[in-house]
Amino acid sequence: MITVSACLWVSRSEGQPLRLRADAIADTQSETQSPTGLVVLQGQDKLRPWLDVEGLVWAGAKPGLTGDVLVLALHLREPHGYSELRVGRFVVATGAIFPVQIDGAEAIGRTPGGSTLEVFGGAPVVPRFGPRAYDWIVGTRASQHLATKITVGVSYVQRREDGEISNEELGADFAAAPAHWLDLAAKGAYDLTSPGIADGRLSAATRVDAFRIELFASEQSPGRLLPATSLFSVLGDFPSEMIGGTVRWWAAPRLDVLASGAGQLVGGLLGMNAWIRSTLRLDDRGSGSLGVEARRVDVTSARWTGFKAIAAQPLGGGFRFSSEIEIAVPDQPNGRGVAWPWGLMALGWRSSTGWEVAAAVEAASTPEYRYEANALARLSRSLELR
Amino acid sequence: MRSSWPAVAMLLALALTACAGILGIRRTDPSHPFEHRAHVAKGINCVECHAGVERAGDTGPLHLPSDADCRKCHSKPHTEESCRGCHGAEYIREGAELAKEHLRFDHGKHNAAVHGDCVRCHSAVAEARPETLLPKMAVCFGCHEHKDQWALRDCDGCHVDLAAEDTPPASHLVHDSDWMREHGVRAASDRDLCSSCHTERACAACHGVGTVATLPWKMAFDEVSLSGLHTAGFRSRHAEEARADPGLCNTCHSENSCIDCHTASHVSPEGTTRSPHPIGWLSTGRGGGEHGIQARIDPVSCAGCHGGAGEQLCVGCHRVGGPGGDPHGPGFRSTKNKTHDTPCLLCHGTGP
Repeated sequence: MITVSACLWVSRSEGQPLRLRADAIADTQSETQSPTGLVVLQGQDKLRPWLDVEGLVWAGAKPGLTGDVLVLALHLREPHGYSELRVGRFVVATGAIFPVQIDGAEAIGRTPGGSTLEVFGGAPVVPRFGPRAYDWIVGTRASQHLATKITVGVSYVQRREDGEISNEELGADFAAAPAHWLDLAAKGAYDLTSPGIADGRLSAATRVDAFRIELFASEQSPGRLLPATSLFSVLGDFPSEMIGGTVRWWAAPRLDVLASGAGQLVGGLLGMNAWIRSTLRLDDRGSGSLGVEARRVDVTSARWTGFKAIAAQPLGGGFRFSSEIEIAVPDQPNGRGVAWPWGLMALGWRSSTGWEVAAAVEAASTPEYRYEANALARLSRSLELR
Repeated sequence: MRSSWPAVAMLLALALTACAGILGIRRTDPSHPFEHRAHVAKGINCVECHAGVERAGDTGPLHLPSDADCRKCHSKPHTEESCRGCHGAEYIREGAELAKEHLRFDHGKHNAAVHGDCVRCHSAVAEARPETLLPKMAVCFGCHEHKDQWALRDCDGCHVDLAAEDTPPASHLVHDSDWMREHGVRAASDRDLCSSCHTERACAACHGVGTVATLPWKMAFDEVSLSGLHTAGFRSRHAEEARADPGLCNTCHSENSCIDCHTASHVSPEGTTRSPHPIGWLSTGRGGGEHGIQARIDPVSCAGCHGGAGEQLCVGCHRVGGPGGDPHGPGFRSTKNKTHDTPCLLCHGTGP
C-alpha cells in the first residue's frame, strides 16, 4: 500500500486506474485464528505498460492478532515482453518448484523463439514480522514453447536453513494443447537430498459436446515435502498416490453436473474418494443458483460421508440472499459427535458506488462444541482512481 | 409382470417438460439473441443495419441499429414496443460494449483486409441461435499468428488491461471442472500466462506462508460455492481432510500451522499431560506399531507437534543403539553427512 500510495503523485494521464479496496471483517468467534477481526487493504496499479505495483496488507484488529503483508511487489516489464523483473514480497510458483513466498527478486528473460529463463532468489517469508533467521532460497527455470502448442521446462531450487540445505529439487514440467479439445499437463519434482520423487502430477482433459472429461494422477512423498533438516524427513518413502477422473456434463443450458472419483494408495493402504455435485442457475446470467453435493471419503483412518446444499438469489435493489448447509458424518465418531452439521445464512448489499455490506449468521455442531453460533459482518469499499 | 418402463419414461418426459423453463431449455424471457441468420439468408448486407461499422475505428459507438433502422424494412411492426426489448438480449449487447472497452480493435482496417466479408470473422451468424457473434480468440489467430507476442506474453497489443477485463478464457485453459485441484499442474508450465490475467494476490491469498488471512471463503462468506478447499464446515472436518491426503495441507501451510492454530484456539494438549494418541500408540510391534505406521504415512502431522525441540522425544528411543531401533523405512536414502548434518547428527552424532 505504501508503494501504491507513493505512486499517486505521478501523472496518471497514460496509466490504468489505480484500483483500491478495503475490507473490514468482524465475527463473534473469540478463539480462532480465522481471518476475521481484520482490516484488509489491497491496491493494484498499472501505471505504465512497463510498471505494475501491487500491495495486499492485513491488520489484525483483535487482541493477539498482528498484521502482515501478503504482497508488496514492484513489477517492471520491458514493453514487448522480452524481460521482466519482480522485486518485493510475492509468491514464486513456476514449473515444478513448490510454491514459496519470498522477500526477494525474480528476473525473467524471453526470446521471440519461445525460450524463457527465470531466476529468483531471496529470503523465505517469516510470518507476522517474526524474527529472521536469514535463511535463503534460490532457483531457476528454463523453458521452451514449441509452435505455441507445447511447453517444456526444467527447474532447480535450493533452500537453506541455518546454512544447511533444507530443500534441493530438480523439476520438469510439460504442457500441450495439440487440439482445441485436448489439454495435457504434467510436472514432477525430484528430491536431490533424499533421492526420489517428491511430487508428480499428470492431467489430461478433453471436451466432447456437452462433456468435459479429465483423467488425473498424482504421487507425493510427504517425507520429502518436509525440510530435509526435519527429523521426520528420514522415515523412508511412503508416497501417497492417487488416480482418478472428473466428468462435467452440461445437462441443460442452466444445469451442470460434475462428478469425480479417485482411487488412493496411502502408506500401502487402498482407499477412495468420490463426489458428485450439481448446480442449477436460476437465470441465464447465473446470478441466482441452487447447488447440491454428495461426497464419500474412505482413505486409511479418514472415513466420512458428507452432503451440502447452497442457494443464492438476488433480491433487487442491490440486495442478495445466500445460504449454505452441510452435514458431515464420520464413520468413527470417537467421541466427536455422530454428525457435524453446519449452516449459514447471509445477506449482502452492493451499491453502484463501490460500497458492499454483508452480514451472516452461522451455526454448527463441531467435534469440539456441541452447539456453536457466530455472526459475521463485512464492510468493503472498492474504488478506482484515474 | 408388465414392464413399467413406458410409464417411467412418460413421467420423466413430463417432468422434463414441466422443468424446461427452469432448466433453460424453454426460454421464459421474451428477449432472445437477434435473428441474424434469418436476415443474412434474405441477402441483407451487415452494413445495411450496422451502418458505418465498415469505417469504424478503435473508439466510438457500437453501431447497433436503432428501432428506426428496423422500421425501414419492417414498416408495420407487430407492436409499438422497442424492437430490442425482445430481438437481441441485453446481456449480449453488454458483452459487445465490454469487448469494445477492453479490446483494441479497428473494424475499418479489418473490413478492408477481408474485402467486406464480415462472416469471415463473425461466422456464428450462420448458427440458428448463436449466443454471441463476438469471434473467439482462436479466430484472430487464424490470420494473426502473433507467435512472438504469444511467446513474450505481450498481450497489450490487443487487450487494454487483461486483469481488469476479468474474462475467463473460452477456448484454452478453461477454468472448469475441479479447477482447485487441477490448477497446480496446469499453471506449472504457464505461470506467466496465468499472470497475464491474475495478480500476485491470487497466489498469495492461499500460498502465503502463515498469511492466509484473505482466503476467499472467509472474506466473501456471502458468495456461497460448491467448489473450493475450505468451504462450509471445513473447520469440523479438517482433520479428516488432512488424513485423507497426507502432504496436501503442506502445499499452502507450514508444518507449524497445526500447533499454532490449536494453541491459539485452546484445543491443543499443550499445558496438559494428556496424550492425544490412542492407547497402545507406542507399542513396539512390527514397524514400530501404530505410531511407526502413522509417522511414515503422514510425517508432516508428527512434525506439526513434535518438530524442533520436540524431536528429542523421538531421539530418546531411536538414537543409534537406542531401544527404539532404526526408524529409517524402506526407500530411505540421503546425501547428507550423517555425523555432521542436521538432523542426522541428532542420532548418529558422537555427542559432546
